[in-house]
Amino acid sequence: MSHWFWLALTIICVVWYSTITVYVAIKGAADIKNMLARLDATNKREAAEKS
Amino acid sequence: MTNFNWLLDGSIVGLYLLVTMVAGLMVRKYVGKVEQFLVAGREMDVYLGIASLAATEFGIVTCMYTAQNGYEKGFAGATPGILMAFAMAGVGLTGFVIKPLRDSGVMTIPELLEQRFGQRIRWSAGVVIVLGGLLNMGVFLRTGGQFLVLVAGLDVRYLEIMMTVLLVGVAVYTILGGMLSVLVTDFLQFVVMSLGLILVTVLILMNVGWEKLVTTVETNYGAGSFNPFVNPTMGWQYVLFNLMLNTAAVLTWQTIIARVLAAKDTGTGRKVYTRTSFFFVCRFLIPGIWGIAALATLGPVANTLEAMPRYLSTAVPAGLMGILIAAMLAADMSTDSSYMLTWCSVIYNDIMAPFRKKPWSEKRGLFWNRTIIALIGIFLLLYGLWYPLKGDLWTYLGVTGTIYLASISVLLIACCYWRRANSWGAGASILVSAVIPVAYLVMEQLPSTAALAKSIGPYYSGIATYLLSGAAMVVGSLLKSQVRSREEAA
Repeated sequence: MSHWFWLALTIICVVWYSTITVYVAIKGAADIKNMLARLDATNKREAAEKS
Repeated sequence: MTNFNWLLDGSIVGLYLLVTMVAGLMVRKYVGKVEQFLVAGREMDVYLGIASLAATEFGIVTCMYTAQNGYEKGFAGATPGILMAFAMAGVGLTGFVIKPLRDSGVMTIPELLEQRFGQRIRWSAGVVIVLGGLLNMGVFLRTGGQFLVLVAGLDVRYLEIMMTVLLVGVAVYTILGGMLSVLVTDFLQFVVMSLGLILVTVLILMNVGWEKLVTTVETNYGAGSFNPFVNPTMGWQYVLFNLMLNTAAVLTWQTIIARVLAAKDTGTGRKVYTRTSFFFVCRFLIPGIWGIAALATLGPVANTLEAMPRYLSTAVPAGLMGILIAAMLAADMSTDSSYMLTWCSVIYNDIMAPFRKKPWSEKRGLFWNRTIIALIGIFLLLYGLWYPLKGDLWTYLGVTGTIYLASISVLLIACCYWRRANSWGAGASILVSAVIPVAYLVMEQLPSTAALAKSIGPYYSGIATYLLSGAAMVVGSLLKSQVRSREEAA
């Protein structure tokens, strides 16, 4: 019984981890792009306010 | 003899290092303020948070110990990972502690503690966090170096030089780009690390086979290799201690919490927790399977910590070996950069707080943050790499971790949810959670008390630390309330 639990958990781990790696690789790249754009906009706005 | 091919595998590793360094250095131009340096201007979104949290919490040292757990305890060795996944999912779903923490807008845990317990407790908590964290991190470099030397078949004489160069590289991009560089490099490192972990696990499952893995642990450890409750080296006390330890880590380990604090809002922080939670099962089970495969292939070995890298050095073919080493370098670099930045944030924000009577300029703040990271790097080199640690490593990690986790988790929970909590309770809690683990260590060393310490065991001692730390908070807080009431009445 416990063998099946660990077999199922191992399969879930490999499948879930493979899927999440691809998903996070795509979505995370978009997150970085958006984050840097927001920071750039904030820095430019603050620089304009100072001057 | 190892399958590492300098031309093929060396090129893969070199390319990975080059891309990481360039990416880490490129984002430095976005850093103009301390908030951007320490918490990335609180602009981190969910998927970047998942990548960063997973990469940070998986270093070579993690891989070595979880593989050792698999080698020595079988599949049951993955129990702490399952417990941590439950704790993280529970905290993410309910927002327990992390919601009030993120809502408060603080940059570190001690900053929030000051609001309830005062400046002295903020400073003391900062010292406990930094001491526990830095001493814990002190062993990362050497253990990481040992893995790389064994897997790649390098001359052990080059271990110090190799790890020094690696640390300097990590320090350079962390000093210049702070949390922004950490997040961007963590993302790349998560992808490379995950690729290596998945490919090697699939290779092992195909080559060794599931049946052989199961038969090996069953023959060596019996039913205890599948069920922690019947394993003679584990039992209910191991499960309970690990539940407490991992819940406390999820709530208060500053490198984990840093992702909540850098998130663009509280909901994002909670989603990062919930969606990363299952990774912690993989974090224990995947290297655990590597450890079981080492047992199945090598049989009994003198040094169980080295069994997994020794096995991988011959089991992984050229080409994949380069990906494996790049993956492990990625794991180690992401951990090192995050840890250096995190302890720096506590030193600057909390320990140095009394020295900032007037607010510092952003330029001065950035200068000090960068200086602190450089000093942490020097400390790591001197303490962790060039000074060989003596004694049992696991006990060392457990003690340094518990001193921090027991007190800070009690303080944080009380700060968020118990109105009557005050500075006396906080002080007593910090004291108790430092005294019990240290006393246990001393008892272990003294011949007159060694037998007693052995009969108590590290798990009961750990459980007692958490419970008594909580009790100290209650007693201390109630005592102060009572004394104050009497003073007011008089």
